[in-house]
Amino acid sequence: MLRIEALTAGYSAIPVLNGVSIDVEQGQFVAIVGPNGAGKTTLFKTISGIVQPSAGSIMFEDRDLLSVPPAQRAHLGIAHVPEGRQVFPSLTVMENLEMGAMTEAGQRDWKHNIERIFEWLPVLAERRGQFAGTLSGGQQQMLAIGRGLASSPKLLMLDEPSMGLAPTIADFIFERLIEIRRQSRLTILLVEQRVAEALESADHGYVIEAGRVALEGNNQTLRADDRIRKAYLGM
Amino acid sequence: MTQALEGFLQALSAGILIGAVYGLMCVGLGLIFGVMRVINFAHGDFMMLGMYAAFYLFTALGVQAAFGNAFGPFVAILLAGPILALFGYAIHLALISRVSGTRTSALEGEGHYAQLILTLGIALILQNGGLIVFGSVLASIRTPLSSSAWVLGPFFDISIFINKARGIDAVVSFIAMILLTLLITRSRIGKSLRAAADNPTAATYMGIDVDRAHRVAFALGSGITAIAGGLLATNYPFHPFVGVEYVIVMYAGVVLGGMGSIIGAFWGGMTIGLVQQMSTLILPTQLQNAAIFVVFLLIIFFRPQGFFGRVVERT
Repeated sequence: MLRIEALTAGYSAIPVLNGVSIDVEQGQFVAIVGPNGAGKTTLFKTISGIVQPSAGSIMFEDRDLLSVPPAQRAHLGIAHVPEGRQVFPSLTVMENLEMGAMTEAGQRDWKHNIERIFEWLPVLAERRGQFAGTLSGGQQQMLAIGRGLASSPKLLMLDEPSMGLAPTIADFIFERLIEIRRQSRLTILLVEQRVAEALESADHGYVIEAGRVALEGNNQTLRADDRIRKAYLGM
Repeated sequence: MTQALEGFLQALSAGILIGAVYGLMCVGLGLIFGVMRVINFAHGDFMMLGMYAAFYLFTALGVQAAFGNAFGPFVAILLAGPILALFGYAIHLALISRVSGTRTSALEGEGHYAQLILTLGIALILQNGGLIVFGSVLASIRTPLSSSAWVLGPFFDISIFINKARGIDAVVSFIAMILLTLLITRSRIGKSLRAAADNPTAATYMGIDVDRAHRVAFALGSGITAIAGGLLATNYPFHPFVGVEYVIVMYAGVVLGGMGSIIGAFWGGMTIGLVQQMSTLILPTQLQNAAIFVVFLLIIFFRPQGFFGRVVERT
């Protein structure tokens, strides 16, 4: 579904990503892990068109994504739940969700989507009239996820949904994600610092270090790998 | 005593009437400066063009013949709105978009320095171009309604005179304001404008074309201020340099109301109108504008975020 090949991208002349190749198949849950500054967020921004790559290609459903203007990419079915949540603070919870549903598919499925989103993340239903800027961090993260789901995406990209949250809240959000994934069979690309949880729930994983794919494999291979066990899982 | 009260009520009503038009004028800039955070120093001159557009529509392009002397001016003024909206759209497409929106969102100062110089340049060109094209003779949009009044009262010997043209100006302003508020708060396009202003990057992730949203806001703001300008022109004569007199009042109104708030900008403009008219009760007319800025400073001193400004971090 998403095929990234030899992608090099960065800011000004400094490359952050150096020949990264990643594949996401339809229905797969793929996790990308790695240390701070490895280029995970830059990878997402390049997929969404906020960062321009200097080399490589990105294909989405056999379509050259790099030739699609950034604002059109959401309409192809890519939902980006960004790092640090980035909800619209002066819009209400409901209006934020409506913004997620700007895509044609989101418009079409609005009633059905909103029902499911409220069922999965009931706190959003309770707070629907509240300004998003006044929500707690965990609530904002749930809103950001709900906003992504409201677009009826084919691919949901989640950038560190646990960032800056208390461990219990991060656990809760992870649990919700697993549940959403179980019920919707959505294709998910996740970037996460919580390596153990990410690798446990994903089908396939990539380890990115210093802008390169250092390691990749399915869930079992990665969790059994000595380097991962030492560096990330603390075993 | 009765006389003082009558003077007070007369100034109050005059303040509300002119304040409504100032309010609408500020709302136009509020969309561009308050909501989208683009500095436009040519906004007063856009208003000047709106005044001339209404003037020529009325006198030379047949609106007077079609709608008559009394209501023709208001038809011409409303038509000037879309014309200036198109003008604003074009100016944004050709010039402003190069120093604002996604192109500059990552820069220091979000492109404000370039916007300052660019729009001051546009202002100079419009003022001097206006002088060449329209000439330096004072123009005005004359309607017989400007020189007649409705009388309220008498209540206990007190009568208040409402200038008919100003009365209609205020009503048109209030209606335009209500329609715009509904558009911004309720419609999909209005919500996407606010989302684009809140967080341009996240708005792009939603599939909102942020530069297009900016352009729509710029066009809308230009059209709204043009209508307000036309309404002012039914009572005040104008010339190609009239924009300079109003642009500072517009910025004061937007800041007073609170950055980012459309309703705030309206009440900011209303406050300025009220202060301007009420100050004539105790101060000589030459000090009207000084009084506006003394009150402006006082309000900003006690409420730096303005009437409706929210003290919420923009993410």
